[in-house]
Amino acid sequence: MYKPSWKVGVLFSKTGPLAVIEETQLRGTLLAINEINEQGGIKGRPIKPVYYDPASDASAFGQYAKRMMVEDGVKTIFGCYSSSSRKSVVPVVERLNGLLWYPTVYEGFEFSTNVIYTGAAPNQNCVELCNFLMQHFGNRFYFVGTDYVYPRVSNRIVRDFVTSNGGKVVGEKYVKLTAQHHDYSPIMRDIKNVKPDVIFSTVVGKSTADFYQSYADFGLDPKLMPIASLTTTEAEIKAMGTDVGEGHITAAPYFEGIDNKASLAFTKRYKKRYGNEPTNTCVETAYFQVHMFAEALKKANSLCTDRLRANVLGIDYEAPQGNVSINLSHGHADVWTRVGRANRSGLFDVLYASNSAVVADPYLLSYGAKREFA
Amino acid sequence: MDVKVNTKQKDSNIYSMHGRNIADHYKFSDLRIAVITNPDDRSEPLIRELQKTRAEVKHIWPPPEFVPSDYDVVYTDLMENLPSRLESLPGLPQFSLIIIISASNHVDLKMLENCAPHGTIHLPVTEQAVLSSLVVARSHFLYENRLRKRIQQLDDNLISVRNIERAKILLMERKGFTEEDAYQHMRRQAMDKRVTVGSIASAIVDAQELFS
Repeated sequence: MYKPSWKVGVLFSKTGPLAVIEETQLRGTLLAINEINEQGGIKGRPIKPVYYDPASDASAFGQYAKRMMVEDGVKTIFGCYSSSSRKSVVPVVERLNGLLWYPTVYEGFEFSTNVIYTGAAPNQNCVELCNFLMQHFGNRFYFVGTDYVYPRVSNRIVRDFVTSNGGKVVGEKYVKLTAQHHDYSPIMRDIKNVKPDVIFSTVVGKSTADFYQSYADFGLDPKLMPIASLTTTEAEIKAMGTDVGEGHITAAPYFEGIDNKASLAFTKRYKKRYGNEPTNTCVETAYFQVHMFAEALKKANSLCTDRLRANVLGIDYEAPQGNVSINLSHGHADVWTRVGRANRSGLFDVLYASNSAVVADPYLLSYGAKREFA
Repeated sequence: MDVKVNTKQKDSNIYSMHGRNIADHYKFSDLRIAVITNPDDRSEPLIRELQKTRAEVKHIWPPPEFVPSDYDVVYTDLMENLPSRLESLPGLPQFSLIIIISASNHVDLKMLENCAPHGTIHLPVTEQAVLSSLVVARSHFLYENRLRKRIQQLDDNLISVRNIERAKILLMERKGFTEEDAYQHMRRQAMDKRVTVGSIASAIVDAQELFS
């Protein structure tokens, strides 16, 4: 008997400056869909992805989301890396009652009944990262970021964490999304001059490689003054060269090589399908959220947003990073906190890990009344 | 092609029947209305009724590739690919949208929903139906905008409340203020500088390294 497929939307860029990371999210998504279909689909029906390439253009995300919902009859969309692209899709899914699954670390302070947030919010990575950096390197921070909403909002939060714990922000610079090697030279000269203890980076996309390469060219030493980031994953380290990335610090819920069954099975299947590419936190999140969706779909037996979302809230899943769950009240994932240092092989040695998933607090309601550390 | 429609005001119409002038009350004369419809003897009365409101009415046909967004209100036939002819995203409408439904044609309900319209009007029209569609669609559109603004304001307030809380603690810790003094200090600064307490608090949080 013919059974129609479950149609879902997939929106990650294959081209443009954010392709370096979004393409890995696309792969994570497709890998999970493929696994589910190989197991016979959901209720005997395969999942069928509808895909468009928004080419790293935030407004194209909104237009494609509309096209998916209007012309392709899609209700659920897996997609978006940058906050600008998410903000472009949100009004569409809100008005047409769709569901966006957003698998990326972001700046928090958002809630929508039409979004499931599966990446880390600031309380799930910034707090421990700042703590770690101040303990090991010192308290003078220098911010460098790509000029859009996420880095600016994120830096305000980090600035607050740093300064309220006795640290100091000694520089704050923003570059355009397409910044190249030479665009970082004046910043590097300033850094040499100001001599911070830590460079805190919210540079994203292809330009990340230029940034770290420029750092290396200026002869700076990660042992003394590392670049710390929430967005530099194994994918960006590979793009810049593992010798350039070595010694720098990143906080993320997942790093390749976490020692548990789900993680080892995930990396094995990923490499089987995509060759010897490293996995990273964005792939992992894109991957586990599709499996979570599948669990919810089994129970809902419907792609109708209201029924599906009701089955997503409160759900938990054994993800490669460990057990994760979707918070009942605001649809954010409770994810793990880890701090890692890149090694010569392009992977991260985990220097700190939480004991369990950290409850998402996107509005930082329980932070701020007291000092967090120090 | 633009079609000119002659309007002959009837002596007795809804405007003169009411004691209060409806057109003035709703400020129809401030509105720019586009009507995208196949000109025939059933759509003509629609255009005529709209013109009677003293709004600026423009008839557009054949259908444009994109529905123009520089009108306050757009009446349009439910034509092929209408959702993709609308450039603004659903959820961020730029005008009130009213879909013209012809009783004799099949209505694609899915497409109708996907256009996220603010109302429908059914041909053949009556004077009452045209006015009702205009008033209801317009008020839905404006209400939606107010709600969006309110949500934005609430989001901003959430951040403000957090900043005020943070700034209060900073002033208490670093300056030895009492809780009440801290609030008063921020209020006074806000009044002197003619800005919100939220923005004073935000400046204090951002500049906290200057305290030590």
